[in-house]
Amino acid sequence: MTIEFTAPKAKPAALLRPWALVVPAVLFLLVFFVVPLVENGLRSVVNDAGGFTLSRYGQLLTDSFYLRVTAETVLLSAGVTLISIVIGYPVAYFLVRRSGRWAGLIIFLLIAPLLTSIIMRTFGWQVLFARRGLVNNVLVDQLGLIDAPLRFSNSPEIAVAALVHVLVPFMVLSIATVLQSIDLRLEESAKILGAGRFRTFWEVTLPLSLDGVGTGAILVFMIANGSFVTLVLLGGGLQTLPLMIYQQFNTTRDFGMASAMSTILLVIAVVCLFLQLRLVRRRGS
Amino acid sequence: MASRGVAGRGIDWVNVVLGAFVVLFFIFMLAPILVVVVVSFTSAGYVTFPVPGWSLKWFGHIFAYQPFVDALIVSIEVAIGATVLSCLLGVPACLYLARSRAAWASAVMTFLLSPLSMPMIVIGFASLFFLSWLGIGVSFNALLITHTIVCLPYVIRTSAGVYAGLPPAYEEAAAILGANPLKVFWHVTLPLIRPGIMAGSLFSFLTSFDNLPISYFFGSARTNTLPVVMLSYMENQFDPSIAALSTLQLVMAVAALIVVDRIYGIDKMTVAA
Repeated sequence: MTIEFTAPKAKPAALLRPWALVVPAVLFLLVFFVVPLVENGLRSVVNDAGGFTLSRYGQLLTDSFYLRVTAETVLLSAGVTLISIVIGYPVAYFLVRRSGRWAGLIIFLLIAPLLTSIIMRTFGWQVLFARRGLVNNVLVDQLGLIDAPLRFSNSPEIAVAALVHVLVPFMVLSIATVLQSIDLRLEESAKILGAGRFRTFWEVTLPLSLDGVGTGAILVFMIANGSFVTLVLLGGGLQTLPLMIYQQFNTTRDFGMASAMSTILLVIAVVCLFLQLRLVRRRGS
Repeated sequence: MASRGVAGRGIDWVNVVLGAFVVLFFIFMLAPILVVVVVSFTSAGYVTFPVPGWSLKWFGHIFAYQPFVDALIVSIEVAIGATVLSCLLGVPACLYLARSRAAWASAVMTFLLSPLSMPMIVIGFASLFFLSWLGIGVSFNALLITHTIVCLPYVIRTSAGVYAGLPPAYEEAAAILGANPLKVFWHVTLPLIRPGIMAGSLFSFLTSFDNLPISYFFGSARTNTLPVVMLSYMENQFDPSIAALSTLQLVMAVAALIVVDRIYGIDKMTVAA
C-alpha cells in the first residue's frame, strides 16, 4: 500500500519553487555579461587564420611598449589608491570620532559628488587649469608670479588629482564603516594603562581599522584600473590599458589586441573581486 | 566622548589640525564642481574663471544645439528602460536571495553584483561584438541590454538590503489569513520593500545616465547618449555649454538625492555603499 499525497497539483507548483525567482536575473547575466566576456577572451587567442595563438599575450608581456602600458596602468592605480588612503584616513577618523553634529553635513558632502557626472568633474579640472582658468588667473593677475599663463594640459598630476577626487569618497566611507565598529573600550583601556593619545592610535585604533583600509584600497584600485573618461580628457600623456583599448578600437582597429588587453584588465578585476570577498568574509566571521 | 583630551589644556590641537585638514579636503572635493556651476552662468564666450559677468545664454545654447537635445532624449529613454528591466529582473531575485540561508544563494548574490567590479570599457567592447553577432549591434536595444547589466546590481543591493531587514512575520500573517503567494507579494511584500526599490531605481537611473565607457561603443546618430555627445564635443571645443549641461545634471542628481533621503535615509545609503 502506498500513501497517495495530493500530488498532481504539485507539478505546476514545482515551477514556482522560490529559487526559480533568481533564474531570470542569472540567465540574463549569463547570456549578456558572461558569454560576451568569454567570447572576448577567445577572440584574443585566435589568429587571423582562425588558429590558436598566444602571440598577443606574448607581445603584451614582452614588448617594452606594452609592458610600459600595463605597468603604467597598475602603478597609476596603486598611486591613486595610496594617495586616497593618506587623504581619506584622517577624514574618516574625523567623521567617526570628532565630527559630532557636523557628521550629517560631512556625509552629505561626501556623497553629493558621487552623484555628479564624471564629465562634470573632469570639466571642472579643465576649468581650474585652463589657459584662462582659476589657477592661471591667480598666478598671473593676482599674485604676478609669472608673466604668461602656464600650460597644464600635459600634466599627469592633474589626471591623478582628478582620479583621487573621484575615488577618495569610497575610501573614506570604507574606513569610516570599520572605525565605527571599533569598541571604544579598547582605546580607553590603552589609555588607562598609560598609553598616550598617539600611542593608543598607533597600536590600537590603526591596526583595528586596517580591514577598512584594505576594503577601500581594493575598491579604489579596482575602479582606478578601469577608469577611462578622466584619462581620455585629462590624460596628460599617460598610457593605460583602457586608453589603449579605446585607441585600438578607434584608430588601429586591431580588435584581437584590444581583446587581449581587455582580458588582462578583466583578470586584474577578478583578482581584486576575489580579494574583496575574502576580506568581507573575514570581517563577517 | 567629546570631552576626551580637552580637559585642562584649553585647545585640543589634534582636533584643530584634523578639522583644518577636513576643511581643506572639502575645498578639494567641491572646487572642481563649484567652478563648473559658476562657469555655466558666465556671460563670456569662452571658459574663464572668475567669470566677467552673468548670463543664462549657455543654457539657451544647449537647447539650441540639436545633438544635445537628441542625446538627452536617448539618455532618458535608456535610463528609464534599463531601470525598469533591472527591477523586473532584480526584485524577484531579491525575494529569494535576501531570505535564503543556502550557501549557493550568497554565491549567486555575488555573481549578480559582480558587474559593478568589472571595467566598464571591457563590458562595452565585449558586448559590441557579441550583440552584433546576435544581430542587435548598434541599436537602442543594445544600449538597453548593456546598461541593464550595470544597473541591475544597484536595484538588487538596495532591495535585498531592505528586504533582509524585514521580519517575515507580516508575510506569514498574510499567508495564514489565506492570501496566496501572489497576493502576499502584491499587498504585503511590495509595499514594504518599495523604499529599497525606489532608491535602487534612482541609483540605477543615475548610473545609466552618466555611463560613457559602455555607451561609447554603441554610438550612432540615433543612439548617441548625452555623455557620448558631450565627450565628442569636448574633444573639439572648450566652451561653457558643457558647464551648463553639467549644472542641469547636477540639479537633477541633487533632487534625486533629496528624494532618496526622504524615503530611504542617507545613513542607510552609506551602509549599502
